[in-house]
Amino acid sequence: MIKHHPNSELLEKFADGELPASIAAGIAIHVEMCPVCKVAVAELTEQRSAIHFESSDLEMPMSELNIASMVEEITLSDEIDIAIADKEKSISVKGEEYILPRALTNMAMSKWSSIGHLARARFSIDEEPLRASLLQIQAGGSVPEHTHKGFELTVLVDGHFEDELGIYGPGDFILLDAEHTHSPVTKDGCLCYTVANDAQHFTQGINKLLNPIGSFIY
Amino acid sequence: MGQSIDSMLQNKAQHAKAISMEKEIEHKAIADWLTNVAQKRDKRAFTELFRFFAPKIQRIATSKYGNESLAAEVVQETMTNVWRKAHLFDASKGAPTTWVYTVMRNVSFDLLRKIKSKKEDNLSDDFWPLVESVEEDVKVFEDHLASKEMMACIDKLPDPQKSVVKGFYFMEMSQEQLAEHLDVPLGTIKSRLRLALARLKQHMGEIHD
Repeated sequence: MIKHHPNSELLEKFADGELPASIAAGIAIHVEMCPVCKVAVAELTEQRSAIHFESSDLEMPMSELNIASMVEEITLSDEIDIAIADKEKSISVKGEEYILPRALTNMAMSKWSSIGHLARARFSIDEEPLRASLLQIQAGGSVPEHTHKGFELTVLVDGHFEDELGIYGPGDFILLDAEHTHSPVTKDGCLCYTVANDAQHFTQGINKLLNPIGSFIY
Repeated sequence: MGQSIDSMLQNKAQHAKAISMEKEIEHKAIADWLTNVAQKRDKRAFTELFRFFAPKIQRIATSKYGNESLAAEVVQETMTNVWRKAHLFDASKGAPTTWVYTVMRNVSFDLLRKIKSKKEDNLSDDFWPLVESVEEDVKVFEDHLASKEMMACIDKLPDPQKSVVKGFYFMEMSQEQLAEHLDVPLGTIKSRLRLALARLKQHMGEIHD
């Protein structure tokens, strides 16, 4: 059961196509797995289209000449776009196989690099300071207690993890900001899609020395 | 206040009913145009769609981006996709206006990303799929054996056409990328695609006749 969802403001902006690609991808992953949010997005889209397309007051007049020439140009080619039926893409990370969510299938990804129980691949989305990654925490692994200087979005693609705030499973959408401190632990291992806008800040004892991990995850 | 609440409500209800009937008729007309474009490549139906949607899209995009030439680009791209993707519209899944809105939203997203991040990765159709779920598509294809037939037909094409079709539809390379990759002029890629599609249509037609 998915328990953690994007709030309605995020869903609205998603339906309007107004979020950066990295965040939109996170919501798309969630929506693909969450029937409730899927319906919500479909309804929002329908409302928007009704507002914009079902009243002829909201038009900018175009000249007949303009219409004719654009129609002519567009219909010049008889080509059609064939939808590709089988788009499933799987990846293998440290011996684990995962099927990528549809939203990530065409996002360019870097090679995997790893420290301890963590492995990470970055997406080249070019939305600095936003950075998007896939993060694998192997079974029994954890991320030391940290706060976020900015925000951190995590969408669980596979497996589970838990922190001080609860237990999370596939599809859960977790948005944390600078107020939160957490130290995620995973028993069965997990794969997460993450977006952050600043490096994590480790808060405890020896872990302060681990700050390179902070920038590794970011 | 001469009018009773009851009669006011009744009037309202009648008005709402009239509007929803009008909508239904409008939706039916738009859905028919889309079907004619998909099945018959009907230019007149497309002109009707263009007249209905283009001035609205022009207005939405102008007010959103405050830039008329960018808005014109959104109109051009959206209507091009309506022409090329009309066969993906499924009347049982929702209103035709919602489908066109989705096409417009996707086009705008990719266009803006191209401008802001200089990225031409066209992610929108993965975030907001125009074809609902992948499993369903696979089923449809399997039922009709269409995908196997299609592959068999593609394999019968002459090699130059085959590589263009495979690159364009299965590896999702753009025509420009293909031209560069195969080291031939863009026009050649276009004509190979055109020839290949004509031939595929013919083959598929023979099988289904």
